[in-house]
Amino acid sequence: MRRFSGRFRSSLIIGLQGIRARKLRTLLSMISLFLGVLAVVVVQAGASIAERALLADLELTAGYDGTRIMEMAPQQAAADTVTTTVRGRTDAVAMLAVSGIIGEPGVTPVNPGGSPIDEDWGPPMNCDENGCVPIGGPKGEAVEVRLTALTGDVRQFRPFRQVSGQWLNFTTVPAMAPKLVLNREAAKAFDRHRVPAEMRVGGAANNVTPQFTGVVDDGDGQPRAYVRLDELTTWLPTSRLADPNTNSELRLMMAAGSPVEQVVVSKLKGQGNEPYVYTVETRKEQQKTLTLMQLVFFAMAGLVLLIGVAGILNVGLATVGERVEEFALRRAVGTPRFLLAGIVLVETLLTGLLTAAAAIGVSVAGLRVVSMLVGNSQPILQDVQFPWEAGVAGIIAGLVAGILGGFIPALRAARIPIATVMRA
Amino acid sequence: MSTLIELAGITKVLKGQEQPRTILDGVHLTVEAGQSVAIVGRSGSGKSTLLSVIGLFDRADSGSYRLEGQEIGRVPERRAARLRSSHFGFVFQRFFLLKHLTAAQNVAMALVNGQGWLPRRQRRTRVMEALEEVGIAHLAKNRPTKMSGGEQQRVAIARALVRDPKILLADEPTGALDTETGALVIDALLAATRRGCGLILVTHDRDHAARMGRTHDLVDGVLNERVAVR
Repeated sequence: MRRFSGRFRSSLIIGLQGIRARKLRTLLSMISLFLGVLAVVVVQAGASIAERALLADLELTAGYDGTRIMEMAPQQAAADTVTTTVRGRTDAVAMLAVSGIIGEPGVTPVNPGGSPIDEDWGPPMNCDENGCVPIGGPKGEAVEVRLTALTGDVRQFRPFRQVSGQWLNFTTVPAMAPKLVLNREAAKAFDRHRVPAEMRVGGAANNVTPQFTGVVDDGDGQPRAYVRLDELTTWLPTSRLADPNTNSELRLMMAAGSPVEQVVVSKLKGQGNEPYVYTVETRKEQQKTLTLMQLVFFAMAGLVLLIGVAGILNVGLATVGERVEEFALRRAVGTPRFLLAGIVLVETLLTGLLTAAAAIGVSVAGLRVVSMLVGNSQPILQDVQFPWEAGVAGIIAGLVAGILGGFIPALRAARIPIATVMRA
Repeated sequence: MSTLIELAGITKVLKGQEQPRTILDGVHLTVEAGQSVAIVGRSGSGKSTLLSVIGLFDRADSGSYRLEGQEIGRVPERRAARLRSSHFGFVFQRFFLLKHLTAAQNVAMALVNGQGWLPRRQRRTRVMEALEEVGIAHLAKNRPTKMSGGEQQRVAIARALVRDPKILLADEPTGALDTETGALVIDALLAATRRGCGLILVTHDRDHAARMGRTHDLVDGVLNERVAVR
């Protein structure tokens, strides 16, 4: 071990001396390798950033990896079962969604059917055997939203991004005027249309005056508002939130391993309601999409790296050719053959590492500049951090290039006949 | 005195030509500790080949080579490298100093050779002692390009001495120097023999050869000891 350490230190010292003595050659090697390592770093950084952004978007809509989701037919009994089972629990949150119209009473909302605000899904229709006729009053200043009632803080399962204001507080006494948190699309609608603070939900005892407390990004393209279930049920019976005749939704989000799942499934089966339960696997799903793209880009980066390796190999061979006497002399003073090879490899490895450091530095700086310049128009690049995976990829690329580029010169150095010094 | 080197019947034939040529033909040579031996001969007589065989740069085709009583004529390269490091010091006609290193770093090169490890402080002490021994400690930080030929050769001698070799092999060490400087270099080499180091000097210069304890003539690969007539 000690001998190995001594040899390693020897090769490191001699290698560093060699680099210092041939700064221009080292620089030329670095330049030839730089683009290759930079390509690897950029591809890996791009892949990591894209993967994270894609994953974040998927998590926003589907939920964190590993979250268990139970979907079931929206029946009154099911809604009662689910809400009573999860009441007071933190490992499961029930979500009950219905349509709600906020604004002028007696009018058709600006987005009938809860369509995105820039899309027109057409007026609601009443259809029978004679055909379909539009229903509802004249269009007025009202916005239709999907009203999602929550039994607890769902952000542990879906990472909503707070845009402004406050998220719902589940620790306080329920407010009489339900507090609503809008998603971006709903906020856009209310930004464009000044509507009276009056909310109508089918089956509600009265029209309700909601309070908007914040805006979140939930990744949903439809206008949606989130509300505490207990605040909504002050005005609306739970049964109205799970009416199979309306387009209501009933969903349960649970932590993996939560006992709620087994209990609710048993109860629902007893009621003849067969729930559909699955686990969120966003990473696995997106991996398939990204892998092929990553492979193509890495193949391209590999080719550029190979050109860099050829450059370092060329410079390495020329350097060994110039140093024949030095290597022969080193052998004469007792340096073993493989240490001579080690010296050449250390030099090319250090060159590779220096190049990797330069490429990583340029990438970090470049990413900052790009983030500053186009961060506002491209959310994916806003406040983006340089991914550590790209740094590791750059270092590995530098080392691999150093080994590949230095291998043949190292072999040549080790084979220099010692008698060269005698014949000189 | 203990016997350092014993060559018996060493033969080396140069192959790869139309007619194989015998370079060394049954060479016998014994060198004791502290003894100095000059090998004199014309160009192409095999002096450097003999030194290559002794310094384990090359292998003899036949014959016996004993170093401190141990047969080493057929040792593998890895052991040969160890022996070169532990037993031999080499001085060449063309100094072979690395231009990008200082005198001290050139001397330290023999210590940083992967055969054991000396901490930096010990290394520096040994290097300075070696430079002191050849009288150029004050030039430790100078690069070879700033030194005269004699000074460069003394750096090369310090490099050969820094590992305390048991035998010094000098191949025409004064060939590139003027007479006066050459004499100083020979002085430095002979100084090493006074502390028990053996010396084999290959030279054309009869005056330098005459300063050695024994002189051998190498003629057509045959080594003959010259009888001193004083």
